[in-house]
Amino acid sequence: MEYYVIQSLNALVFAVILLLSGLGLSVVMSLMNFVNLTHGSLYLLGSYIAVFWMATGQPWYLAFPAAFLGGAAAGLILDRFPFQLFYARTHLMQVLLTYGLSVVFADLMRWGFGAHIATPQIPELLRGVVFILDTPFPIYRLFVLASGVVLAAGLWFLFDRTIWGAVVRACVVDTRIVEALGINTKHVFTAVLALSCGLGALSGALGSGILAAFPGLDEEILILAFIVVVVGGLGTFSGVAVSALVLGFTMTFAKMLSPEFSNLMSLAVMAGILIWRPDGLIAATRREV
Amino acid sequence: MAGNRSTLVLSVVVAALAVLPLTGVPDHHLRLVAEILILGVAVMSLDLLIGYGGLVSLGHAAMFGVGAYAAALFATHVSPDLLLAIPAGIVAATLVGAVMGALVMRSANLFLLILTLLLSQMVWEVIFRWRDVTGGADGFRGIPQLTLPGGMAIDSGVDLYYVAGVLAVGAYLVAASFVNAPIGKALVGTREQPIRMTALGYSIPRIRLSVFMVSSAIAGAAGALYPFVNLYVGPQVAHWTMSATLVIMLVLGGVCTLFGGFIGAAIYLVFQTHVSSYTDRWQLVVGLAFVATVLFVPRGLGRELHQLLRPLGLGEPRVTAETDKKGTVR
Amino acid sequence: MPLSDFTRRRFLAASAATAGLTVGGLPFAAPALGQGKGELRIGLLTSLSGPFASLGESMRAGLQLYLAQAKDGIAGRPVRLTVEDDQAKPEEGVRKVRKLIEQDKVDIVCGVIHSGVALAIRDVVAASNTLTFIAGGSANNLARKAASRYVFRPTKTNWMLGSTAGTWAAEKISRKNVITIAADYAAGREYVDDFVASFKAAGGQIGRQLWTPLGTTDFAPLLTDIAAAKPDFVYTFFAGSDAVRFLQQYQDYRLAGRIPLVGTGAAFDQEDVLPAVGAGIKGAINTFHQSPSVPVAANKLFVDAYRQARGRLPGEFSTSGYVAGQVIAAAAEKVQGDLTDKDKVRDAVLGLDLETPYGPMTFDPKNNQAVLNIYVNEVRVGADGKLVNEVVHTFNGVRDPGATA
Repeated sequence: MEYYVIQSLNALVFAVILLLSGLGLSVVMSLMNFVNLTHGSLYLLGSYIAVFWMATGQPWYLAFPAAFLGGAAAGLILDRFPFQLFYARTHLMQVLLTYGLSVVFADLMRWGFGAHIATPQIPELLRGVVFILDTPFPIYRLFVLASGVVLAAGLWFLFDRTIWGAVVRACVVDTRIVEALGINTKHVFTAVLALSCGLGALSGALGSGILAAFPGLDEEILILAFIVVVVGGLGTFSGVAVSALVLGFTMTFAKMLSPEFSNLMSLAVMAGILIWRPDGLIAATRREV
Repeated sequence: MAGNRSTLVLSVVVAALAVLPLTGVPDHHLRLVAEILILGVAVMSLDLLIGYGGLVSLGHAAMFGVGAYAAALFATHVSPDLLLAIPAGIVAATLVGAVMGALVMRSANLFLLILTLLLSQMVWEVIFRWRDVTGGADGFRGIPQLTLPGGMAIDSGVDLYYVAGVLAVGAYLVAASFVNAPIGKALVGTREQPIRMTALGYSIPRIRLSVFMVSSAIAGAAGALYPFVNLYVGPQVAHWTMSATLVIMLVLGGVCTLFGGFIGAAIYLVFQTHVSSYTDRWQLVVGLAFVATVLFVPRGLGRELHQLLRPLGLGEPRVTAETDKKGTVR
Repeated sequence: MPLSDFTRRRFLAASAATAGLTVGGLPFAAPALGQGKGELRIGLLTSLSGPFASLGESMRAGLQLYLAQAKDGIAGRPVRLTVEDDQAKPEEGVRKVRKLIEQDKVDIVCGVIHSGVALAIRDVVAASNTLTFIAGGSANNLARKAASRYVFRPTKTNWMLGSTAGTWAAEKISRKNVITIAADYAAGREYVDDFVASFKAAGGQIGRQLWTPLGTTDFAPLLTDIAAAKPDFVYTFFAGSDAVRFLQQYQDYRLAGRIPLVGTGAAFDQEDVLPAVGAGIKGAINTFHQSPSVPVAANKLFVDAYRQARGRLPGEFSTSGYVAGQVIAAAAEKVQGDLTDKDKVRDAVLGLDLETPYGPMTFDPKNNQAVLNIYVNEVRVGADGKLVNEVVHTFNGVRDPGATA
């Protein structure tokens, strides 16, 4: 019994890691209909910021805002050029542009941070364990779990329950009407992109304590995030959350059953969902407008 | 479409390529050209899906890889005869393509992209893990040389070059006739106006399935020849990163042109191989070059070449590739 | 890290020692022995992008270090090193090795990290009778069915590490209740299968065997399984980022210190893995052909020089690059720098008895495979607080069984 409780907790933590990596991507995809494949690069950038920040001896908890700001700043620059030119282009063109950029960023980061594997110096406070049903469980994972839940809830509140969120959603539905109301939609999109990039980097900072940071992690995360967001249905936070939970639990329990076939099983489950529901788990009706 | 003159230009290109080996090009360059021709065929088959069908697949390497492994296994265990081994690869790839096509025919846009990625990675997992048959991560080696029906072995770079050339011409003719046939026109129709096409009585899933099968067969033919360039095949050929490379080659060469695949494959392979000999930062250079292409030559270098060739009689490409009208909702 | 800053295309042995950052230029030092031999062209094929990029950089730095030390070139011939990136892709490796042989006209090909690349280029170098020194890829098959007349391997085979670990663990740790967990690909299977074979031969019993896909992000479910099973010890193989994640999470879940960890050296590589892993992993045991503490003079000199050049302790691949240079030089000296008669060179290599940073090295004439000492390393916390592999036992002269296995 306690074994299954712990494994479920493991699955939950992994689902939150997936959710975190998908959050930023889902924000731009659902709100701006923009496919940003540099998301993995921003995640890795955040991981490196956390690694270097924690090595400097500054207060560790500031590493997370630092990563967020770093990512958001990168987002502001990218929005200026070249993303703005592509917001209204086809998905294929967006995919190609951002894929090319992700190759460039990957190499720049390898140049700057080196090719070796780096891990952050997690503070003593988070490095310990708590005993859950007599089983040691890492505090850092609980920290990541809590952070993920708080972030997702905060985003949901921001976009669904505030006037700011209403403006963003209105921009998506009809840009011209919002412009007519005297709001500069360009600035709205810039802000959303910066937020999304900041989220990507923040996720990277949080994830670095479990996944480390190294060249190639960007691609690994991008694929996971992309699968989670698309299978979730591209439109809604709830879709991304459900999809992350499904993938997190599938991968964890598949590893329990047979680790060697765990990838195959997870791929099959995710593919099965997309075959069963070609528009993802929770389709956004908004996109039909 | 200035049919006769474009045939003329094509013939000139083919003839020029045919005499290339006589000019003393070194063996390893001929092999590189053979590889370009083979990958060009694969890219061309992807053009049917992406360019003409508007079906952006990120799983095309599965068909290429299955064709490669099937032909390599057939040559090793049954017969290295060219006329048997290559069809074995084609049949295997077509079967996989048919299954994949049937599974994805209801999907579109990014959902199709991710679904093809997932399905192709399942194929990769099988190849990677079925060590007894495929050699797993270490790859499959000890493949015999292909033989012509007379028993003559295809061993030198020149031989491979000619076989790849015949394959390229044959595949081009098949693809071109598919595109010009009623089903090809219908395919473009499903891309541009799916609702009207349905109203006209066309079955979109059936059209998509058939293009998937044709495209897979051509990719399988290319894949089937690929192991014989190096007498080795590794699981990398079926990985999604290979699919991504094929898409990049397609965009470089020009979507919806068919022949652009060859140009894209040539640019990518030659550029990457050379730049990486000179600098550690080759990924930066290649990435920047690709971004610049997307920014400044979004229609692909092949199509620009097309423009330049206009005076020679190669008119506008058959079908416009601009799918901006569809695809995005904004 | 001055050595890593060289452009890889050309590296001249001479200028390196003094100038540090000079690139290209004229071949250094007129050959001492004339006879029209000119410069000795060495092609290094290694992975400078893709998953093994940091290993490839280390291998290149190791070889460059050797060439920098050999100020007068090799056997009186100045050396021209051409480095090519195989991207850890077999097809690319073949393309590049053809270029090295046909265009750059290299006398010798060396390097290769990925076993798939090594196996893929094997037929190409064999067909052209190119002298080849595989310094990295350690698939057993290259010492067995895929062995080839002019292909030498101055490094270990997977069998050499797996089988010694089985013998040692059965004798020193436990004969029962062991769990194996390893990356599920060719190398992982070979290491673990060879471990299991020798462990069973020594009377050991194997419990559950776990295989995880390459690039596994989360080991938590498996670590929970291991914690529940309470084995006597765990035998493991992972490489690179998988190894770092596994070892970190092994500590996170408080298995480190409770359940002994035994593995192949790659999972505890001094340069690639240990610097990124927390001190909790101390006490882990691994079998390897390399360690910064191998007690021979050649190793001490190399470790000091490498530390000076790159500011860190060497791991397997930096050592392998250095040793490849050393073996090539020793063989070339024996034939007075004349590599035209390949059978003579072959005899020279097979007749070598070298002291390398790996320890003593000879070659087995039946498969051109190096015969090496295999060390049992214990991961300890060094004086500077960093983790270091300390040799606690030596298996002398371990020889791969070859094609009969």
